[in-house]
Amino acid sequence: MRRLTSAPDRTVRALQWGIAAGTVLFIGAIILWITHLIRTAWRLGDVPSASIGISLVAIPVFLTVLGVGLYVFWGLLTDRSER
Amino acid sequence: MADPADTRDAALLAPIERTGRGFYWTVGLLSLLILWGAVAYWTQFDEGLGVTGLHQPVSWGFYVTNFVFFIGISHAGTLISAILRLSKAEWRRPITRMAEVITVMVLFIGAGQILVDLGRPDRMMNIIRYGRYQSPLLWDATSISAYLTASMIYLYIPMIPDIAILRDRVRKRKLLYSVLAMGWTGSEHQQKVLNRAIAIMAVLVIPIAVSVHTVVSFVFSMTLQPMWRSTIFGPYFVVGAIFSGIAALIVAMLVFRKAYGLHGYLKPIHFRYLGQLLLVMSLLWFYFTFAEYLTAYYGNEPEEMHVFWAKFSGPFWPFFWGMAVTNFVIPVLCLVRLGRHTIGKVLTASLSVTVGMWLERFIIVVPTLSNPRLPFGEGIYFPTWVEWGELAGSFALFALFFVLFTKLFPVISIWEIREGREVGLKEVEERLLTYLPETAEPRHAEPERGW
Repeated sequence: MRRLTSAPDRTVRALQWGIAAGTVLFIGAIILWITHLIRTAWRLGDVPSASIGISLVAIPVFLTVLGVGLYVFWGLLTDRSER
Repeated sequence: MADPADTRDAALLAPIERTGRGFYWTVGLLSLLILWGAVAYWTQFDEGLGVTGLHQPVSWGFYVTNFVFFIGISHAGTLISAILRLSKAEWRRPITRMAEVITVMVLFIGAGQILVDLGRPDRMMNIIRYGRYQSPLLWDATSISAYLTASMIYLYIPMIPDIAILRDRVRKRKLLYSVLAMGWTGSEHQQKVLNRAIAIMAVLVIPIAVSVHTVVSFVFSMTLQPMWRSTIFGPYFVVGAIFSGIAALIVAMLVFRKAYGLHGYLKPIHFRYLGQLLLVMSLLWFYFTFAEYLTAYYGNEPEEMHVFWAKFSGPFWPFFWGMAVTNFVIPVLCLVRLGRHTIGKVLTASLSVTVGMWLERFIIVVPTLSNPRLPFGEGIYFPTWVEWGELAGSFALFALFFVLFTKLFPVISIWEIREGREVGLKEVEERLLTYLPETAEPRHAEPERGW
């Protein structure tokens, strides 16, 4: 990886990590929302089994997508080799 | 992967580096349509849903039709792109990017239709705070969120090497391209990461895409409404989605081929292959439609037959028969022989299918609500200028998003084209040899026993 000596380089790198953080926040917020709906259903006794059933499928999908995204961001941004 | 100094694909960078007068005319025209949509929406927001043709018993009209239609078109992309990538179809290279862009754009437009249909968009907060997972509408919200997230990542990851080319070659928007290129140098490690991620996403998006449209169909088939409660609605919707998706992709390819002079990349052979796929999907669509209507007819349940005849010979007959002609008759006539005038025939069929699939969504949504099972009394739906404005605005917004995308990023994947030239040919030859039996026969082969 090139040394980030200049201010623009550091800005670019900070923004790139910002995108990675944004991805985590976005997907994390969706997972939190689904969890909130399960909690609400559980608290109100409003057929929580339906919420849990759907979430069992949905949350792992979101986590897998997040995993792939982070794998790419980490893999590219921490690469030290040149072409 | 891609060498930034390679100038062979300058035609793909030209739309980004130079902007012609046609671009401004296009944006101006689309903006006018979007303005019409915006005025229509403001009127609806200000005065309520009463300004639309929506009423009891028809509470879903153009907006829900558009929602199902746009979500369907989104299948173009990811599904076609992912299947072609996984099957290593070499002709995919100039197609995948456009397909992936369509997916992301129309998902935004499709999801937006629900906000418009709500009448009061602030009530979206109620879904976030108090949503109940017993409702198929919330299954929809969840599955579309998953599909949109996966599609955005699936669009972005294969774009990274191209963005690095833009970073190194284009003088404009340096910061944007530098940030989005994620430090891409084309090293072996980075290529490995990218290829692995693309492969995982290609596998992941196929079941997500199929499930999304199945879940969209559940919004209808989980009810007890006549001609909605059907076990084949899931696959019927998926087939329709892929069908309309291919048609939309072909139209987009032809528009950008003409506008940006991409004849060297999007060749008649690409349209022939996609035309053949469209023909197969047309036949499949007809099969599902036939099965769906035959089952209803044979069952002869009074409420179902009421809707059935409303479509066949009642007030909805022009839409029903229009759908049959545009989705089956015209495509089959155009695509059954693609020897000559391939592009003209494929374009005619695709435009026809695009109209036909919108009609199909309309003919599913509205006639059932017009003739409900419960004794509400029948009703006919007449859209007002507000819904027409929203319809025009939505299509224009999709087109504008796409046009703006092509001004920022290559509409055809540059690195995949170069990879095809550099390593694709050799790979295909090697792969072909692995498919075929060994050519060297053993001299004294033993006769096979038994069979």
